Amino acid sequence: MRSSSSLKRDFLKKWVTSLQICSFSIRGTSVLERKKAIKLSADLAMASARKGTTCWSRALIANASKDDNNKVLIEHILGSHEYERSKQASIGSLMCNKRIRCKKILKKSFRMRRVPKKSCEPRMVIASSLAKRFIKKRTQFLRSLVPGGEFMDDISLMEETLDYIVSLRAQVDVMKTLVCATELVNCN
Amino acid sequence: MDMEVIAGTGPRSTTKMPEPDQTGLNDSLQFNEEIHHLMTAPNENASSFTALLELPPTQAMELLHHSPDLVKPALNEELLVPPNSASVERATRFSAFAPESSPVPEDSGANLDKVKSEPAETESNPNSSSLQPLLSDPTVEIRSQRPAKRKEREKKVKGSTRKSKSAAKESCEDGEKLPYVHVRARRGQATDSHSLAERARREKINARMKLLQQLVPGCNKISGTALVLDEIINHVQSLQRQVEFLSMRLAAVNPRIDFNLDSLLAAESGSLMDSNFPSMVMPQMWPEVQVNGNRQQYQQEWHFDAVHQPVWGGEEDGHNFITPENSLLSYDSSANSASLHSNHQLKMEL
Repeated sequence: MRSSSSLKRDFLKKWVTSLQICSFSIRGTSVLERKKAIKLSADLAMASARKGTTCWSRALIANASKDDNNKVLIEHILGSHEYERSKQASIGSLMCNKRIRCKKILKKSFRMRRVPKKSCEPRMVIASSLAKRFIKKRTQFLRSLVPGGEFMDDISLMEETLDYIVSLRAQVDVMKTLVCATELVNCN
Repeated sequence: MDMEVIAGTGPRSTTKMPEPDQTGLNDSLQFNEEIHHLMTAPNENASSFTALLELPPTQAMELLHHSPDLVKPALNEELLVPPNSASVERATRFSAFAPESSPVPEDSGANLDKVKSEPAETESNPNSSSLQPLLSDPTVEIRSQRPAKRKEREKKVKGSTRKSKSAAKESCEDGEKLPYVHVRARRGQATDSHSLAERARREKINARMKLLQQLVPGCNKISGTALVLDEIINHVQSLQRQVEFLSMRLAAVNPRIDFNLDSLLAAESGSLMDSNFPSMVMPQMWPEVQVNGNRQQYQQEWHFDAVHQPVWGGEEDGHNFITPENSLLSYDSSANSASLHSNHQLKMEL
């Protein structure tokens, strides 16, 4: 089991190397550009620290590689071998996702036809249907937050969220430390 | 998802199993070993935390049926798990499934006792606090196996109280020929396969929800799935916003993205596990060992200023002259005093 510090170390290492690559291409541009580059390299470093074991990391990398500008960066962070693998994986996962979505549509249409049970009192039915609607809305929203969430079922969504939260926390910690260090150095 | 189920799992999770600790201890230690081996063994990459959540189904079956020990392949050293965390993790899982007060069936009684002794032993640690370090340990084991397998395992744990046709079906899907598990249905619950499957699904979701609740701060007191989901969403959003904000700050602070992170990290050594960073510092210090071609003079002065920050932690003792790629994971404490002297000399030369 990797400890959180080893995760952070991994992340930092990859992030540092990718930032050094970025710096060659982006010089003296606006703050927004730099911020985007920093954030992108941080996200990619964190995703690649998972080494393709989680869905959200694969989705994040796939989304990033859609943009041609990022290809060099991604390739460097991942290593070319893994980059090729991730490209193939993303194509495969797209097919899988389409299949999953079709299945979901089919399931939904079947479910509509099932007769709702009238055995409970109407109040309970309303309450439970309300609750279900709330939950559904929120899981939809969570899907939009977690990268690649639209393609997962509820159960894996929860697992991915858990992993995503842990990774985000590590990322934030490392970035905070870096910011503090930078500002400390700049003050002196 | 039913609110009642969630409310139901709440009180259940706090029940303690009155098992004697001694017998439970040995069993749990052996159990740890087995889990340990099974978790680290077959799968290649770094892993997902969900392997903590999952017992391989063979292991689950063993628990219930006292089948002979499975052969364990060799350990992968990197993935060593401290026994406590494994047992704590299991405790949290089992506490989520702690059976109700319904009578324990005779045949699988002994085995379930073994299972229950795990929570007994480890529930002395408060669950939430011990889970925190566990989950913040990168939670990444072996990639989670098919949800079907987990479903089967959960059914085994609850085996005493529920009928599980689907579990038996899935157990046959594994390579091993496992017998059917006949169990009683819970009182007042439907037993057709649809509702069983739905119940199993709900149980799974609830289990993960519990974990999420323990991970996200402030979620413990909330009951009700929708509110918990709210909190989780807020947490994820706030973390994402923090990332954005921090990257904006970093961009604003530096005209160049090419931070001389080494020196910065040397100056801010405290919070991270920094034995690696000092080794990154050294190559940049020495003009003749310029690994990165675009080091300019002002940057080097900046380095030296950073070096002479008073904030040197204990980990700062290592300095290496090897390239950053190698240096990240090694440090040599013997070079310390010599290098510091040389730093002083260089500064004076400048």
